[in-house]
Amino acid sequence: MTSVQAWFAVAAALTALGWWWLLPGRRPRGRVGGVLLAAAGLLLLAALGLGATPLEPGRPLQVPAPLGGPAREMLFWLLAVTTIVAAVATVSMRSPVYCAIWFGLLLLGVAALFFFQGAQFLAVATVVVYAGAILVTFLFVLMLAHPRGHTHYDRLAWEGLLAACTGAVLVGAFTMTLARARRELPPPRTSTVADRAQPPSAPPRAAGPEAEDHVARLGGQLFGTHLIAVEGVGTLLLVALVGAVAVAAHTRRGGPGGAHVGGNGEPRVRQAVQRPALPGGPHHG
Amino acid sequence: MKPNDPDIYWVEPPRLGLAEKLYLPLVVDGMRTTLRHLVSPKVTVSFPEERPRIDNPLIYRGVHRLNRDEQGRVKCVACFLCATACPAHCIDIVGAESPWPDREKYPESFTIDELRCIFCGMCEEACPVDAIELTSLFDLTGRSREEMIFDKEKLLSIYDMTKDAEPMRTAAQEAER
Amino acid sequence: MSPELVVALVKIGLLIFGLMTGAAYLVLLERWIAAWVQDRKGPNRVGIPLSRIRLFGLGQPLADGLKFIFKEEYTPRHVDRLLFTLAPLSILVAALAAFAVIPFGSVLPASATPEGMRGPIELVVAPGVDVGLLYVFALSSVAVYGVILGGWASNNKYSFLGALRSSAQLVAYELPLGAALVAVVLATGSLRLDQIIAQQAASGVWNVLVQPLGFVVFVTASFAESARLPFDLPECEQELVGGYHTEYSGVRLLMFLVAEFLHMVMAAVLIVVLYLGGWHFWGLTGSTNEVGWGTALVRVLVLGGKTLMVIVFLFMLARWSWPRFRFDQLMALAWKVMLPLGLTNLVAVAAVVEWGGIRAGKPSLAAVLVLWGIGATGWLAAGWAAPSAADNRPRLEPS
Repeated sequence: MTSVQAWFAVAAALTALGWWWLLPGRRPRGRVGGVLLAAAGLLLLAALGLGATPLEPGRPLQVPAPLGGPAREMLFWLLAVTTIVAAVATVSMRSPVYCAIWFGLLLLGVAALFFFQGAQFLAVATVVVYAGAILVTFLFVLMLAHPRGHTHYDRLAWEGLLAACTGAVLVGAFTMTLARARRELPPPRTSTVADRAQPPSAPPRAAGPEAEDHVARLGGQLFGTHLIAVEGVGTLLLVALVGAVAVAAHTRRGGPGGAHVGGNGEPRVRQAVQRPALPGGPHHG
Repeated sequence: MKPNDPDIYWVEPPRLGLAEKLYLPLVVDGMRTTLRHLVSPKVTVSFPEERPRIDNPLIYRGVHRLNRDEQGRVKCVACFLCATACPAHCIDIVGAESPWPDREKYPESFTIDELRCIFCGMCEEACPVDAIELTSLFDLTGRSREEMIFDKEKLLSIYDMTKDAEPMRTAAQEAER
Repeated sequence: MSPELVVALVKIGLLIFGLMTGAAYLVLLERWIAAWVQDRKGPNRVGIPLSRIRLFGLGQPLADGLKFIFKEEYTPRHVDRLLFTLAPLSILVAALAAFAVIPFGSVLPASATPEGMRGPIELVVAPGVDVGLLYVFALSSVAVYGVILGGWASNNKYSFLGALRSSAQLVAYELPLGAALVAVVLATGSLRLDQIIAQQAASGVWNVLVQPLGFVVFVTASFAESARLPFDLPECEQELVGGYHTEYSGVRLLMFLVAEFLHMVMAAVLIVVLYLGGWHFWGLTGSTNEVGWGTALVRVLVLGGKTLMVIVFLFMLARWSWPRFRFDQLMALAWKVMLPLGLTNLVAVAAVVEWGGIRAGKPSLAAVLVLWGIGATGWLAAGWAAPSAADNRPRLEPS
C-alpha cells in the first residue's frame, strides 16, 4: 500500500465514522461531532482527489481544467452542487415522500450532467427509466403505504455502521480512481450540445462524428460488443417479471389475500336470477 | 346488498358482434352524430338582442301575477292554499273581510318574495279560483332585495301588463273547448 | 452575445409566446366546438377591451386569463404547501421544455443566417439533439410528477384517486406509445425529428401510409397520454369532481390547464411529425433544405395547419363523439389490445426493413401492401379476441 492509498483509507475511515455518527440510531447522538468528522473526511478526500498528497508537500494542487468558458463552468458547478444537495437531502429528509422527490431532482441533475458531457442517450435514458418509471411507482407505494412517514421504524438506521462503511469505501475508491485517471490520461475531448451553442469553442458540425451518430454507435456497441450482457440483463428482468406474476397468482389462488366474492362457505353458484322482464323495464336482445 | 341477493334483477347487456368489437362502426356512428350537431341549427339565442321564443306561455313558469275578475277586482279569496303549498315559504297573505258580497275574504295584502321563490308552480296548482298564475316573463331583475318583494299592486300590474299576450288559464281552456 | 445565442433566445421567445397564445386560443376553439356540437352558440361576446366591438368572441382568451389571474389564490389548510405549489410549476415547465426539440418548420433561407454562424437557421429551439424523440418521451414521463404531487399534496381523496389513475394510465400507455415510436424510428434510422420529416418529404410517402397500425396505436396512446376524452379518467368530473386539480384555483389551476393543453398540442405535433409528413405536402413545399422565404413560410404554415387539423378533428371532435372508457376497459385496451398491436407493427416493420422493403425511408409498394395486410389482420384478430360482454359487475361464477 503506497502512502497515497493509505491517506485515502484514512479519509474514507473518517468519512465512514462521521456518517455512522449522523445516522439515526436507537440512542440519540449529538450531531456536531458527526458533521465535523464527515466534513473532515470528505475535505481530505477532495484534496487527495485533486492530487495533493500530504507526503509530497512541494506538489501543487491540480485545479480542474477549465471547461471552456465561464458560462459552461458556472453551469457545471450549478448542476453539480444541485445534484449533491439533492443527494444529501434524499438521505436526510424525514418524510419518505420528500426523499423520493429529492431523489427525482437528483436524477434530473445527473441526467443534466450526462447531457453536459455529451452523453445524450444516457441522460435521456436515466430520466425515462429512473425518473419516469421506477421513481413514479416508488412514490406511489410510499404515498399509499404511510402518507406522512411518521412510523418509528423509519426513524432508525438498520446496519448503520455497515451502510456508512460501504458508502465511504465507494466514495473513496471512486475518488482514487478519478485522481489516478486525471494524473495519467489527457483530458478527454467531448463535443456537446453546449459546445454548439458557443461557436468559439465549437467544432464544425460535420467534424464531430462522435456526436453526430452518437446513438447509432451506442446501439452498435450494445448489440454488438456487449450483446451477451444486454441479453443477460434482459433475461434477468424477464425472470423477475415472471416471478412477480407467479407470486401474485399464488396469493390469489389460495392465500389470505384471495378473497372471492361469496367465497366464505357459500355455494358458488351463478345468481343471475332470470325473472320475467318487468313491464317497461330494459329489454336487451 | 350482496351480489347473490335474490332481489337483484340481472339485466344482461347485449352481446357485442364482431363489427362492434372492431370499434369502427361505432367510431363512425359517434363521429356522424357529432358532425351532424356541429352544423345543425343552434337552440340558444344571443339574449339581449334576440328574445328567446317561448313555445307555450301558458305552461311557462316565470314571474307571478294576480288575476283580476271581469270587474277588475282581485280574484284571490285569501284562502291561503298557495301559501301552504309553497315549498319556499315565499308567499305572505294578510286576509280581511271582503267588501264585496260574493265572497267572504279578500287579501288585504299579498306579497311574494321573488328572491325566495323557486318558480315551481305549486301555488298555481293549489289555487282554487285561478287567482295566482305564473307568466312567461323570465328576465326578472332588481337593484335591491326590497325591490324584489312584490306586493299586491305590483302583482296586479303584471296581470295588466300580460293579460293580452297571455289570457287567464281558465279563459284559455274555455276557448280551446 | 454570439449570433447563435441571439438566434436561440429569439427562438425560445417565439416558441413560448406562440405556445401560450396558441394554448389560449385553443381553449377558445375547444369551447366553440363544444358549444356547436351541443347546439349552442358558444362564447361570442368578448372582443376588443373597452370597446363595443365583438369580433366573434376573439377577445375571450384575454378575459379568461385575466379571470384566472385575479381569482382568489386559495390554499386549503390541509395541503402540503410546498408540493402544492411545486406541482403545477413542474408540470408546466416539463410541458414547455418538451417543445425544445419539436421543429415548427424546416429551415430559414441562407440569406437569414447571421454573420459567424454555420448552416441555415433551423426552426427548432435545440437543433441537432440526437435523441430528440427520446427527449420528448423523457419529459412527458416527468410530467407525471406534477399530477402525482398535485394529487398527493392536495390531501383529498378525489385528488389522490385522480393522481392514482393518472399514473397507472400514463405508465400503461407509454408502452404502446413506445412500440409505435420505435417502429417509426426503425423505418427512418434516426431519433431526430427533423430527420424523420426529411425522409418522409424525400420519399413523398408519409408514414401513416406505410404503418397504418402504428398510426392507430400511436393516436390511441397519445389520447391516453394527454388524458383527453375518451380517456380522461384522471379528472373526470362525474366521478372525481376535478381529479388531481380539485383543490386548485387561480394561477396554479391555470398552470395545470395550460399544461394539459400543451400536452394535447404536443401529441398533435408528434402525430403530424411522425406520421403525417411534418411540414411536407405534395407539390407545395419541396423536399430539400434549399429554400426561399416563400417555401420556408409555406412549410411553417403547412405544419401549423396540419397540427390544427389534427387537434380539431381528432382531439376535439372525438371528445364529443364517444363516451368515456371504464377504468378496467382502459387498462384492458392498453395491455391486451394496444400493446400487442404495437408489437405486431414493430415486428412487421423490422422484418420489412430487414428484407429491404424500406430503403433510406423509401418503401416499396410490396412493403406497403404487406404492412397494410398485417395491420388489417392484427385489427381483425384483436376484435375477434375481444370479450363480447363489457360487463364487470361482481357476480358468482358457476363452479
